[in-house]
Amino acid sequence: MTEYEAIIGLETHIQLNTTTKIFCSCKADSWFDPPNTNICPVCTGLPGALPTLNKAVVEKAVLLAKAMHANLLPLSYFARKNYFYPDLPKGYQISQYDKPIAVGGFLDMPMNPANGQSYIRHITIDNMHLEEDAGKTRNEPGRRLIDFNRCGVPLIEMVTGPDLRSADEAAQYLIRLRQLLRWLGISEADMEKAHLRCDANVSIRPKGASHLNPKTEIKNVNSIDAVKEAIGKEIERQTNEMEAGHKIETWTLEWDEDAGVLRKMRSKETEADYRYFREPDLLAIRMTDEWRNAILEGFPELPLERRARFIEDYGLPEYDAEILTGERSLSDYFETTVKTYKGDPKRVSNWIMNDILRMVNEAGKPAYELKLTPAFLAEIIQLVDSGTINTSTGKNLLGKVETSGRAPSKIVEEEGLAKVSDDSAIREVCAKIMAASPNETASYKAGKVTLIGWFVGQVMKEMRGKADPQIARKIMEEMLSQ
Amino acid sequence: MKDPITPEVFAHLVDLAALELEPTQAEYLRLQLNHQLKAIQELESIPLESNVEISAHGVPYTAEISPAPREDIWKPYPEPADIIKQAPATDEGYIVVPEIPHITLK
Amino acid sequence: MTMNPCDQSAVELSKLLRRKEISAVEILESALERIDQVDGRPGTLNPGAITDADKQKVHSFITLTAERARAQAKEVDRKLKAGEDPGALAGIPLTVKDIFVLKGTPSTAASKILANFISPYTATPVSRLEAAGAVTLGKVNLDEFTYGSSNESSAFQPSPRNPWDTHTVPGGSSGGSAASVAAGEAVLSLGTDTAGSIRQPAAFCGVVGVKPTYGRVSRYGLIAFASSLDCPGPVARSVEDAALMLKVMAGADPSDDTAANIPVPDYLAELEKGVKGLRIGLSPDYFRITYPDPTSGELLMQAISPEIEASVRRAASLLKEMGAEIIEDVPMPNTRYGIPAYFVISRVEAASNLHRYDGVKYGFRTPEPTHELRDLYKKTRAQGFGPQPKLRILMGMYVSAAQYSEQYYNRALKVRTLIRRDFDTVFDKNGAYRLDALLTPTTPTTAFEMGAVYGDSVLMQYADQLTVPANHAGIPGLSLPAGLDSKRLPIGIQLLGADFSESVLFRIGRAFEQATETDAWRKEKPGVLAS
Repeated sequence: MTEYEAIIGLETHIQLNTTTKIFCSCKADSWFDPPNTNICPVCTGLPGALPTLNKAVVEKAVLLAKAMHANLLPLSYFARKNYFYPDLPKGYQISQYDKPIAVGGFLDMPMNPANGQSYIRHITIDNMHLEEDAGKTRNEPGRRLIDFNRCGVPLIEMVTGPDLRSADEAAQYLIRLRQLLRWLGISEADMEKAHLRCDANVSIRPKGASHLNPKTEIKNVNSIDAVKEAIGKEIERQTNEMEAGHKIETWTLEWDEDAGVLRKMRSKETEADYRYFREPDLLAIRMTDEWRNAILEGFPELPLERRARFIEDYGLPEYDAEILTGERSLSDYFETTVKTYKGDPKRVSNWIMNDILRMVNEAGKPAYELKLTPAFLAEIIQLVDSGTINTSTGKNLLGKVETSGRAPSKIVEEEGLAKVSDDSAIREVCAKIMAASPNETASYKAGKVTLIGWFVGQVMKEMRGKADPQIARKIMEEMLSQ
Repeated sequence: MKDPITPEVFAHLVDLAALELEPTQAEYLRLQLNHQLKAIQELESIPLESNVEISAHGVPYTAEISPAPREDIWKPYPEPADIIKQAPATDEGYIVVPEIPHITLK
Repeated sequence: MTMNPCDQSAVELSKLLRRKEISAVEILESALERIDQVDGRPGTLNPGAITDADKQKVHSFITLTAERARAQAKEVDRKLKAGEDPGALAGIPLTVKDIFVLKGTPSTAASKILANFISPYTATPVSRLEAAGAVTLGKVNLDEFTYGSSNESSAFQPSPRNPWDTHTVPGGSSGGSAASVAAGEAVLSLGTDTAGSIRQPAAFCGVVGVKPTYGRVSRYGLIAFASSLDCPGPVARSVEDAALMLKVMAGADPSDDTAANIPVPDYLAELEKGVKGLRIGLSPDYFRITYPDPTSGELLMQAISPEIEASVRRAASLLKEMGAEIIEDVPMPNTRYGIPAYFVISRVEAASNLHRYDGVKYGFRTPEPTHELRDLYKKTRAQGFGPQPKLRILMGMYVSAAQYSEQYYNRALKVRTLIRRDFDTVFDKNGAYRLDALLTPTTPTTAFEMGAVYGDSVLMQYADQLTVPANHAGIPGLSLPAGLDSKRLPIGIQLLGADFSESVLFRIGRAFEQATETDAWRKEKPGVLAS
């Protein structure tokens, strides 16, 4: 059997998290709204209504363009894409065509297969289009129900070159894209809520060949799992077809996530003469240097750059760097803690990965919103390092600081949590315990030395954990032997 | 001169336009289209130098006269129900249309 | 017929109102009475036979909103009584071309497909006029979706007739607007001009029509035909009234990104400045038209009506006497390409703009059973659109199809650039011509007979040859009456100026009015008022 490789390009639609829609002042998010309540004459295409461009949409697109190394055009234009569909109230979608907001760009994506060599996949970007979303339709037997609430929600359409080679790479691209969008704060990128949608172009060819075979387009692959599953299925189907000597036809397929099957869409509705022409109702977007610079002021370091730097500068293992740069606020949290702490970054990483991550997840809020600030965390680690408190006291402190928002050293002082290494204090407690436990003392003296653990436990309990357990053990043994 | 818009081309246009026409109306419209096309063909003989750009609008929209883009501020439309009231068929706030057929792949 | 309030100018009525010599309600009742006398039955979808009696009437209206108007007039009178400012157009009877949406009223575009559409919102130009106190009498007829130059294509019949001679057309597509103002049914009307749709009917009906600079007036709420060409504008009986109305309508609009961000001058303040020192051009390219022979396609060249040319030349000499400089033989070589380029651009945009009428969201839906969505679209559009929209959709589909768009559409947009260059050259302040305005005929002929051209979509289109270049170029144009021809039909002359130079055009127009104040034709009344 011939060995095939897959050639995959992804067309992603990214919903921007602006307050309002792209061409009208309705709010962009209507997740919780009843059907057809977040609408106006503009987004429902009433006769005579006209679009007005939302400034924030352009600003967010500029951030993404920068992150993808794409080139912004000084003058970009909107165009009409004409087709009939009931969720498209004007009968055309306002999109971009020959002069989009940005062209070119790339993402260098690290791949770490479970069993195999790590590598970088260079994914090119053709262009980025600004456009409006369509409404939602719901199938019922014999009829379709239409909700226009989503009409006019701002989208960026970003199309990759045919650069991906497996369903895993396609899934990984979406994971990286989602991370980037959240990092930049331009999209919630929640695939469940269709903030990030994906159509996949899939073809196969014998491994090593350079030609491109006819491709199919799979619409609506809208979760990471769906991307893996749908593309995997389509590669399998094409392989079987080719093995059987059939030609691959350029179909448009639809992924039915619930049934886990691909459906062929009727050719009528996919007839691709959209008769694009420049949208006369909107003017050019003028991307001046001044505007661009203002938008890009304070542009952040990007997740993959930061990941590499954490490995390089802080000597973190790749695993730690990956997790710590998974989300921007967490990575900022880590780095601020390291800078305040001034010790081994790996130690900070361990604390964050073992404890802070759990707290963040439990609290359901980003790391920067914790009352346990990076400065407080650094202080706690330092208290442990200096032997002022022991590790378990340190871990307990995390929760106490988070609840109260008070400085760790204050809490240690007020609650007397500092480790007691003063002999006389421990001796006093040891004597008290011996006096209160004549039976155990006698047994020990009679040779049952395993009771030492019980005695130390009593001391620690009496001293509420503050005693240095090593010293307590030494003193107890000494006094019991007298 | 043969009509560029043949009955076959015309039928395709009618389909693209989501129309359906009575034969007599179709023939009248096809005849008119071909007449118009003769007038339009004059465009082909106009000498166009390579430096002629397209004009999407006659008035040049300079930066000075172009309005600034809209600020991202929510202004709820007061009467969305009046919009949906215009639809010929609705059900519980949804607009209703006939179904769109699909074919499931094996 | 004596001078009724509805025959007065807006400026004069405003003075009378403010002096409390007349009330807004009295003005309104005078207009309603005139409508009752001359309009006949309004246009409807099922008119039955057009009778001889119908043929004597004007039929401007599709929807008369008399009660709404009465409430508006009473409010104006209340404000006047209370000493509040009632607005610059207080109490002035206004008709609105039924291509603008007006909240709570049918907004039909003279098409069956929108016949039952009740707009939930109001167009910006209409709301500005009403905010200034104008009293809206109702929605007036037009060619279906503005697609025509005679009003005969309206789905609402009987279609408007020319008040000067009801056997001739009022022109179009703002036929109802021009007819209603000419017949004194209204003092002002709001029209739209895409290729001459204000100026041509204004010329045919002997009234003043203004196509402002593209972007001067917001298009929000104007049901779109060709979005890169459509301009809302005033129809009035005097230049002064048109200037007053434009002042109220014009200016930037947060609902229209193409409404230019330029302050609106006080047109009235500059109106009486005269024409001394202004350079006004005459172009031979506006004294002839070229059109293709309907059968052979061969291009024919024809001089415009000699009576119309004589009117333009007389106007030039009158303006010269008043101190203007007349520059002859100004070349406008690309004028003749206006119609072919328009055929392409307007059809592409129209086809797209008509996509939304599909029986799903508003308006007409086929009553026949449909088994699937596509079937619903086809039946609805087939039954809802008349032949003119269908023609435009099909032509738009043809010339914008991927394989033709370079050949036709992009080429047409480049020809638009050439037409624009003609104007840039002659209006260039440092150029050879340095014109303040071009003076041209508005139309090659006066009003034609009903039925004479209708059905021939090519010939009908060529009626716009002298007006369409301004739409391509975006520049302003003003048509004003300049006399009557031997058939006692009005002749219109046109002034064209540089971008946003409406105030200059108004000055010249006003000067011409003063120069012809005592002309005999100015005493003549339209035929429907003559009895």
